[in-house]
Amino acid sequence: MDLSNFFSIMRGEIVLAAIILILLLAEIATKDKKKIVDLAIGLFLIHTIFGFFGVGEGVLFGGMFKASPIVNLFKNILNVGVLIILFQSASWVKGKLEEHNRVSEFYILLFASLLGMYYMISAGDFLMFYIGIEMASLPVAGLAAFDIYQKRSAEAALKYIFLAAITSGISLLGISFLYSASGTIFFDELKPFMTNDSLITLGFLFFLVGLLFKISIVPFHLWTADVYEGAPIGVTSYLSVISKGAAAFILIIILFTMAKPIMELWREVIYMLSILTMFIGNIFALRQKNMKRFLAFSSIAQAGFIILGMLSGTQLGMSAVVFFIATYIFSNLGAFGVVYAIANQSGKENMDDYNGFYRTNPLLSVLMMLALFSLAGIPPVAGFFGKFFLFMSAASAGYYWLILFAVINVTISLYYYLLVVRAMFVRQNDNPIPAFKSDVYMKIGLILPAIGIFVLGLYSPIYEHINELVGMFLK
Amino acid sequence: MGAQIMFYILATVIVVFSFLAVTSRKVMRATVYLLFVLLATAGLYFIIDYNFMAGIQLIVYAGGIVALIVFAVMLTEKIGDKIESPSNMQMILAGLISIAGAGVTISVLLGHDFKQSTQNIGQNVATIGENLLNYGKDGYVLPFEVVSILLLASMIAAIVVAKRKFEN
Amino acid sequence: MGSSALVLFFIVGVFFIVIATSIAALFAPRSSNPQKLDPWECGIKPSGNAWIQFKIGYYLFAIIYLIFDVEVVFLVPWAVVMKKMGTVAFVEALIFLVILGIGLLYAWNKKALKWE
Repeated sequence: MDLSNFFSIMRGEIVLAAIILILLLAEIATKDKKKIVDLAIGLFLIHTIFGFFGVGEGVLFGGMFKASPIVNLFKNILNVGVLIILFQSASWVKGKLEEHNRVSEFYILLFASLLGMYYMISAGDFLMFYIGIEMASLPVAGLAAFDIYQKRSAEAALKYIFLAAITSGISLLGISFLYSASGTIFFDELKPFMTNDSLITLGFLFFLVGLLFKISIVPFHLWTADVYEGAPIGVTSYLSVISKGAAAFILIIILFTMAKPIMELWREVIYMLSILTMFIGNIFALRQKNMKRFLAFSSIAQAGFIILGMLSGTQLGMSAVVFFIATYIFSNLGAFGVVYAIANQSGKENMDDYNGFYRTNPLLSVLMMLALFSLAGIPPVAGFFGKFFLFMSAASAGYYWLILFAVINVTISLYYYLLVVRAMFVRQNDNPIPAFKSDVYMKIGLILPAIGIFVLGLYSPIYEHINELVGMFLK
Repeated sequence: MGAQIMFYILATVIVVFSFLAVTSRKVMRATVYLLFVLLATAGLYFIIDYNFMAGIQLIVYAGGIVALIVFAVMLTEKIGDKIESPSNMQMILAGLISIAGAGVTISVLLGHDFKQSTQNIGQNVATIGENLLNYGKDGYVLPFEVVSILLLASMIAAIVVAKRKFEN
Repeated sequence: MGSSALVLFFIVGVFFIVIATSIAALFAPRSSNPQKLDPWECGIKPSGNAWIQFKIGYYLFAIIYLIFDVEVVFLVPWAVVMKKMGTVAFVEALIFLVILGIGLLYAWNKKALKWE
């Protein structure tokens, strides 16, 4: 094996692993833990920026690890999301320092989970995929329990780890069925075996369970609201955008390459699940008063839209999904950022507390409005184009009924997103949340998603770039 | 013939004790039943001459994980108490779903025409070691290294969860 | 075949236990009184259940033990072929060991190995 080749293709993973070890050593060596926050954010910033340049493409370790331009783009999207979360959570993590003396663990676990996602997305066989998905979910359970003195945080961790273990067990059973039917665990070698054989079908459906759980598609969505509510907000936003995004990326890679021969089968499954997910997510979101639960259910509904785009099975569909996930990451992080900033300052998380928020904190209110409009899909912000491309791809495959359902859901979601906007801008409140200033990190963490929402919405070459990379990948 | 008889004995042990493990209403008993399931599974590996895997099954599962589960059970407040049994409705529904799931899976497995593998998969430790450290085709050095980070992360996560207050 | 021996062993084992215990049950003389059932013949009478709540320290030790247990599983095949495969195998295992060694250092530094 050529070593320089190895370093160029797997650079992102090696650098991230090195960052984890550096942080661990820093944690062991230094007494001044506050510096670790800056160190972690600085190192990850550098890693994110360099991720955009010159990562090679190719196959390593006999096909176990694959890197292509689109996969590198996936990793970059995740990197940017994690970077925003790091900025938003910096002051919260520093606060934990006095309370529990645990700082570097937050970053180490977060990065370990991200590293797992890298390997999951780049996997060329089920072994790496499984190690990746485990590595992506195990540390998150530790993160969800980070607020160790709060019962609901521990409860969130428990619910997450139990359900993740069960679903990944079912997934593993499915993988073993696929292996026993074909004798291989490599995606490429498995492709010719993907037929309507009943064992393959059953194995593939079982295998999908693990991924659908991560994206919180409807029969596997029950953990979402409780875990999102109990976990610290930084972890919640990680679960709702990064974890979901990574799982959606690998799902689309598998559906569009390995499972292409049985498209008729998974199309029907995804079709039904998409409708169910959109409706259930939206209907439950209508009734929520807690902002974290509210965003949890709205993110379930968004997951329904994500898988809707996969139905067409074409280049258009894949580009639409990738673009939609990118817009979703920015919009949702914008919304979570504002919730985070408010919770940090006042500890308030309920929708009623937001009444009259515009009077005291106009800038934050406007950002929240932008993010919610983008989630709802109102032009000219990014979310509109994301949904527009999704519907186009579904229309190109002739799913007109589905588009009708989706449009109904967009309307429902618009209603409840506007509820929050009304609370902030229209409603009166005798003692609203007082005006406050956030620290520098939080400001950056709020400005970045705002930029993302506008740039993705107004600068069309980005979509064309994605489309081009997808075209190269599917060839 | 001998292998077949042994297989049926072990399979019976596994089925019976798995059933006991999920139906027992005392946590500690369930753990011990689970131990027998894991031991019998090791027996299955011995039957197919996969001694290394059987050893792992004994050391890691029967030894390590059961010990961990025992400690985790001992952490709970009321170990001796019986767990509340679910309502009849839940039992019936869960039972029906389990039977349906098992029925579908078993019928699919029985209906499939399995082919004997022609690949020569090494079963002795030396072959496993060579494959584990090989970095070409059929080499597993990447998972080997990644697992070390997975173990590291799970250890840190466990310490974060279990240790209440860190002193300096 | 090896498995036939295993079956035979199994049957003989079960047979012996059944025979031995049933003979003892049939022929042994019996006498019983409450004191015989005490764990200690003298000293404080034991009270309560033996299943009591443990300290979390045990759990921490168990999980750290388990992680190094798994590590050993990977190192056994390595040790077998190490001589044959030479430097490459050595370097690969060194990376593996260093990563987990740092983890051990961390646990040590966090006083997770200390009994409180």
